Amino acid sequence: MLGPWRSSVSFFFLAIAPFVSAGHSFENTAIVRTVELGGTVVHVTTTYAVKALEDGSNIYTIALGQKEHEATSALTAKIKGQMAPLEVEKLGAQDGDFQLYDIRLPGYLKAGGTTNLVVETVQTHVTYPYPEEASQKDGQSLKYEADLLVLSPYDTAVQRTKIRSPFPQIHSYTEPNVEFTEDAPVTKSGATLTYGPYKNVFPSANKHFVAEKQQRIYVHYSYDHPVLEIVKLERAAEISHWGANLNIQDNIHLRNAGPRLKGHFSRLEHQSQAFFQRSAPHMLPGLTLHLPAGIRDVYFYDLIGNVSTSQLRTAPSVPKGSQNTQFSVLELKPRYPLMGGWNYSFTLGWDSPLADSAGWDQDLGKWIVGVPVMTVIPGTVIDEEELKIILPEGATEVEFFAPFPALNDELSTAVTYLDTTGRPAVTLRYKNLTDTHAGIVYVAYKVPFSAHLKKPLAVATALTGLFVLAFVWKRVDTRIQK
Amino acid sequence: MSYTYDSIASLHKAIPPFSPYIPVALLPYIAFILLTATFALAFYFSTLPKTAVPLREVAVASTASVLGGFGVVALFCSMGVYV
Repeated sequence: MLGPWRSSVSFFFLAIAPFVSAGHSFENTAIVRTVELGGTVVHVTTTYAVKALEDGSNIYTIALGQKEHEATSALTAKIKGQMAPLEVEKLGAQDGDFQLYDIRLPGYLKAGGTTNLVVETVQTHVTYPYPEEASQKDGQSLKYEADLLVLSPYDTAVQRTKIRSPFPQIHSYTEPNVEFTEDAPVTKSGATLTYGPYKNVFPSANKHFVAEKQQRIYVHYSYDHPVLEIVKLERAAEISHWGANLNIQDNIHLRNAGPRLKGHFSRLEHQSQAFFQRSAPHMLPGLTLHLPAGIRDVYFYDLIGNVSTSQLRTAPSVPKGSQNTQFSVLELKPRYPLMGGWNYSFTLGWDSPLADSAGWDQDLGKWIVGVPVMTVIPGTVIDEEELKIILPEGATEVEFFAPFPALNDELSTAVTYLDTTGRPAVTLRYKNLTDTHAGIVYVAYKVPFSAHLKKPLAVATALTGLFVLAFVWKRVDTRIQK
Repeated sequence: MSYTYDSIASLHKAIPPFSPYIPVALLPYIAFILLTATFALAFYFSTLPKTAVPLREVAVASTASVLGGFGVVALFCSMGVYV
């Protein structure tokens, strides 16, 4: 049974409703797009200074270029200065050149009324290593591609794009020919590039504009952190009522998405780099993970066996649902340092008291458990995730609530130790997750008391079978000669 | 019932935390006691004579099985296999 989803940020298709041209009831006095460059994850914040041209305007439409839309994994809209996210609706396909989103403003604007709208998006897989190969001694540089102009179905008085690199060295950037400005189309100041200001851009959310006026820009910048990507994450959360335990196990397929290693890996070079503390920026020696507080029995193994190069500092348990400021810190070192293009797959799991994650609701007669969607590795994108929540045997009336829509979800049966009929399992699949997606999935379920007794009775039945065998054996004459 | 995500999140925070029927700290001791009793009863079962109506054998076997069932589950949980 599908649970209801968050209504404040929801994406649903208006395939049947025609696109009403609300295009001319607003005007953009200014658009500022700020791009924070990173490794696999790029944060883009676009601020629209909006002026209403008609009374009663409250649906503002933004446009994203097609490539930008495909790379966007999260989009939130807010009024500048306010915390509450606004309702965003994705409109039906627009001939594949751009994508429109309708944002419902909190109030109705009168003609001439102004407001500032902040749209934050997280883009994944928009950068690539360039040069694509690097030896152990070389540095690491990435290239970022984007559209030059911010599209909008309304007139824009002035727009600019600021691209900020986290490290000071920018190797090169596109210097485009733009008709919307008399001055230099791009200026550089330290680690910030400013494309703009471009004045008097007419409504650009149409095929003609995209074909004629839109351009791609490239920024080639150095990046001194390893660029990580989790190709696949399989997370299983198993709930035990007898043991009052929540076990979470992550099967992580980690990849270094930096430049491919040129030549062979030299252990000598690696050791001397470590000794003189001038490690290559694209090499990943280890990871520091922040795991939940109150965990115990952490295990870290891979295909070969247990990996002992790890250090764990646990934090004491915190009450359920409280704002978590404490984390257990796990520093783990893979079996080998991850060079560019290398993969490492491992399993990480832990147990935690069920009281920290689950509670009993007397009114509903159900238990409600909260399972985190992912373990956050900052600046890393998870290409694919499968989250499986395994409930106790005999759980019924299962309802789940996800913080954001999943690609698909299913209810299946998992069989593990001492199971007879198997346990219900909720499986959710996701794509392109980043740190902004670190939410909690809630599952409500009922377990009748008789279901709790299934396990002891299953074992008792097996023992009874042995006793019956002994009973029969006693009464059978097995002597060969009388 | 229709709950939104936010209402379930605040409900989850407000409700009392999970507590098992049997406290987890007692499980190793319960496992030991129950399994010792199962072993003792099984031994006693093996010494019982054959009778026409096996009343005593059935009684001893069923008690031993039930105690063994709970004992094994408690044993699994104390060993870290949370079933």
